[in-house]
Amino acid sequence: MFLRIESSSGLPITRQIMDQIRSHCAGGTLCPGDRLPSVRQLAQQLAVNQNTILRVYERLTVEGLLERRHGDGTYVADRLPAGRLKAQRQLLEQEARRLAQHAAQLGVEPKEIIAMIEDAIAKIAKGAKAGGKADE
Amino acid sequence: MNDQPAIEVRAVTKSFGKKPVLNGVDLSVPAGQTFAFLGRNGAGKTTTIRMLLGLLKPDGGQIRVLGLDPAVDALEIRRRVGYLAEDQAMFGWMRVEQLLSFMAPFYPTWDAARARELADKFQLPMKTRTKHLSKGQGVRLGLLLALAHRPKLVILDDPTLGLDPIMRKEFLRDLVTYLQSEQVTVFFSSHLLYEIEPVADAVAILDRGRIMRQSATEELRQHVKRLIVPADAESALLGLPGILDFVRSGRQVSAVVEDADAALRALAPAGTRVEEVDLNLDEIFEAYVIGNRPPPGGRPNGEPHLEKVA
Repeated sequence: MFLRIESSSGLPITRQIMDQIRSHCAGGTLCPGDRLPSVRQLAQQLAVNQNTILRVYERLTVEGLLERRHGDGTYVADRLPAGRLKAQRQLLEQEARRLAQHAAQLGVEPKEIIAMIEDAIAKIAKGAKAGGKADE
Repeated sequence: MNDQPAIEVRAVTKSFGKKPVLNGVDLSVPAGQTFAFLGRNGAGKTTTIRMLLGLLKPDGGQIRVLGLDPAVDALEIRRRVGYLAEDQAMFGWMRVEQLLSFMAPFYPTWDAARARELADKFQLPMKTRTKHLSKGQGVRLGLLLALAHRPKLVILDDPTLGLDPIMRKEFLRDLVTYLQSEQVTVFFSSHLLYEIEPVADAVAILDRGRIMRQSATEELRQHVKRLIVPADAESALLGLPGILDFVRSGRQVSAVVEDADAALRALAPAGTRVEEVDLNLDEIFEAYVIGNRPPPGGRPNGEPHLEKVA
């Protein structure tokens, strides 16, 4: 699990770390039952306050994504299908909100935005059929 | 006793000759926190820190450090507190190991094994004269001296000053590793905001001799935001309390507000379209320190308006 802190970002550090752990869970680089680094280890690794890491683990535990086993550490929750779907949804909802806001600022019609997304999905599907050369 | 703040400063004033430096500073640092004391150069950070250690006497107000009054118990405070001064003067002719044995007797709680362990971890060359140490090694030696007597409170005056970016990051990592993991209270001054944000539980912003804001780092980020509205909503925006910075730009006007949630609630009934922008710590600091404040009840003229907080 690789995490990266962007200190000059407008996003608070807690949110940055939470979002990244959610993506790892949603994307499968963190799987049910995987053990996360200890609070102390992750704090040292990122040079981030231990309390911040602790808060992140606590909040993600409340969300059901992580599980804190007493005296043993923090794990990705076992019943992940639900947790994972939730994490994916949350991430996408966030992205969608950003996109919607951006579109409103640019004065782009809702219909156009939806068409753009459908177009992007179609392109990815086509790329996948052509052997994963979607970027070309 | 754990509820007692590690540092408590009430209405402290200090002038040098006719020049007022601190005009009623209030601070409260809870035990166990890592607390960043922010301000521009000359804002009064070092003056405040020197008073915490009893190296300077306040003209007025009250200070308690670990429950002690620095004006009375300065020596006791210096025994119990780890202190790293800005530009710490070392005895340059001493070798590192000599300096360590020289310093030890000053502290009843000096832990020689801990000093050796830190020297090892910090890769300090024991046989080198301290004047030949690099800047980074000098700071680490200072940190070692501030930690070897296992203090419950460590005060660091601009510890990252003059360090290159790699060493600054290393220093912050040391802070997390050796201090936070042992529940030591850390009070440190800095002007490198975005760098300290990841490690600080709370921050206080000192400007022109006053604390403009003391807050948990995360709360500060949640509360202080920039709101952007269409120009025709200018008067609604100006009606908000706690505006730190106000700017007009073409068809839009924007304000940095101290309490974004309250501001959004206040703007909601009129149906104003508000764009909410998260700010990083640098931008928040800037808004507090050089923000363009609208004059009360009037219209800002666009010039930086530095309202005196009475």
